[in-house]
Amino acid sequence: MFVSVSKAGKNAVITSTIISMAIIVIVFAVIGLQGLQAIPEAGWSLLSRSWNPGQGEYGILSMIYGTTAVTIVALLIAVPVGVLSAIVISELLPSRYRILVKSSLEVLAGIPSIIYGLLGVAVLSVLIGNLFDLSTGRTILAGGIILAIMILPIIITLTEDALQNVPSRYREAAKVLGLYNYEVMKDTILPIAKSDIIGGILLGLGRAMGETMAMMLVIGSLDRIPDPFYNILVPGQTITSKLGREIMESAFGSLHFNSMIFMGLLLMAAVFTVTIIAQRNIRFGGRLYE
Amino acid sequence: MSRSLKNRLFLFFCWGSLGFSVFVLVFLVLTIVWNGFQALSLEFLILPSKSFGAEGGILYQIIGSILLVFTAVLMAFPIALGTAIYKSEYLKNERLQRMSDMLIYGLNGIPSVIFGIFGLIFFVNLLNTGISWFVGSIILGIMILPTLVLTAYQSINSIPHHYRESGLALGMNRWGVITEVLLPMGIQGAFTGLLIGLARAVGETAPIMFIATAFSGAGIPGSLLEPVSSLPTHILALAQNATDPTALQNAWGASLVLITLVGIFSLTALYFRNRYKTMIVR
Repeated sequence: MFVSVSKAGKNAVITSTIISMAIIVIVFAVIGLQGLQAIPEAGWSLLSRSWNPGQGEYGILSMIYGTTAVTIVALLIAVPVGVLSAIVISELLPSRYRILVKSSLEVLAGIPSIIYGLLGVAVLSVLIGNLFDLSTGRTILAGGIILAIMILPIIITLTEDALQNVPSRYREAAKVLGLYNYEVMKDTILPIAKSDIIGGILLGLGRAMGETMAMMLVIGSLDRIPDPFYNILVPGQTITSKLGREIMESAFGSLHFNSMIFMGLLLMAAVFTVTIIAQRNIRFGGRLYE
Repeated sequence: MSRSLKNRLFLFFCWGSLGFSVFVLVFLVLTIVWNGFQALSLEFLILPSKSFGAEGGILYQIIGSILLVFTAVLMAFPIALGTAIYKSEYLKNERLQRMSDMLIYGLNGIPSVIFGIFGLIFFVNLLNTGISWFVGSIILGIMILPTLVLTAYQSINSIPHHYRESGLALGMNRWGVITEVLLPMGIQGAFTGLLIGLARAVGETAPIMFIATAFSGAGIPGSLLEPVSSLPTHILALAQNATDPTALQNAWGASLVLITLVGIFSLTALYFRNRYKTMIVR
């Protein structure tokens, strides 16, 4: 009797493992197969700048530009601010504050993205519109700033973990040599923690590229690459905001639909790659947002 | 530049950054709480919404959100627990272990809107299920599956080896050790994962906006096959209408309620995690 219960139990856990793995494979396969159908139909015209379903034009470059632009803006803000903040929390702040700071950061990282979107549309874009005297504040810059705020808690926590993982004997040795804090950090701690920190930044990057709700509300939804291309004070469009706004307007199986899934596929492949590289650098720690 | 000047500049930038981070994050929370409280009232919580959310309350949205996430967790948790047990206790093949890890981490990294699109293609169009509570819960369940698997796996796998050996020495078989020794010790960690999953799922908009929710008009679903309303999609509908002050105010109110739900799940998770951590140390 014992043996049969044991067998049944083992079968149950094997079955659930197969189900989990099958689900994952199905998700990848469905998106892949549907998205790739756009290639034989549209060919190289996918890589043009004009998206115009009325005339059968499905160029996705504007969306790729938008996603790249907001991600770069977000990283330019969040990486320096996040890493330097983490240095204070890990190295300079008395340790009894750490647990408080870390817990509140985790809770902050859990704020739903739709609420960042609401903040972006009701507060930030109004602010930017007034500041730069624009007709609309819903711009690529606003999108980038909102993303930066969203990934800031992630980058701070993961960097702080990375710094904490450096054994304290390195700090002590460096301080004994009479080095200043700056030199201890630059020459000793940061080089050791580098790969973990890069892992954290990559996770933030993946999160930023895939963010949908805030982008839908803040970016302004204009399928255009600005001229000149670094002018981020104009509305744009990211892959995710395009998907969110337009997928329901296209008929299932049409080229319109498939082109959008193709964009989704590109995004998924990019984020997948970034995530896998990031996970090589850091270990899973049971955090709230992993 | 002298060394001490460099050091001072460095410290200045560090503290400046922290000050900036704290300012932004505090400003953000205060904005939500301040605006949210102005919209909040008893009627807002217990009345259904009227005229596309511009009037009335958010009762159906609260109920809809809770139905969606609890159904999702009910479906995902057993599968995740089984997967975690298999990975931790049975699967010894190094390559399969690495491959499954890659799939799980990969799934974890997929942008949430992709799950929505997957649901739209696979369920709504290929299986023809229609827009429903059930499909929404399945998709949310898939989305939080990696979180549940990873937390359960970690809590089971980190139990020291001598517990397993003691169980086996007492004449238990492998399954007996799992049900009598490992699960009672590891379930708390798995439970933490469940709460983290709830916290994540309840705030998600992108996965369910195409496949589960009606932006307005849906009441409490009579069956699993009917659409529901949910807090995040309700906020989205109101935020797209941000020029209308009443809609905006209701959006803030709904946001505060949503954050409170997320906060309840997250803080319970943190509480369990800290208790669990101290247990392992003991």
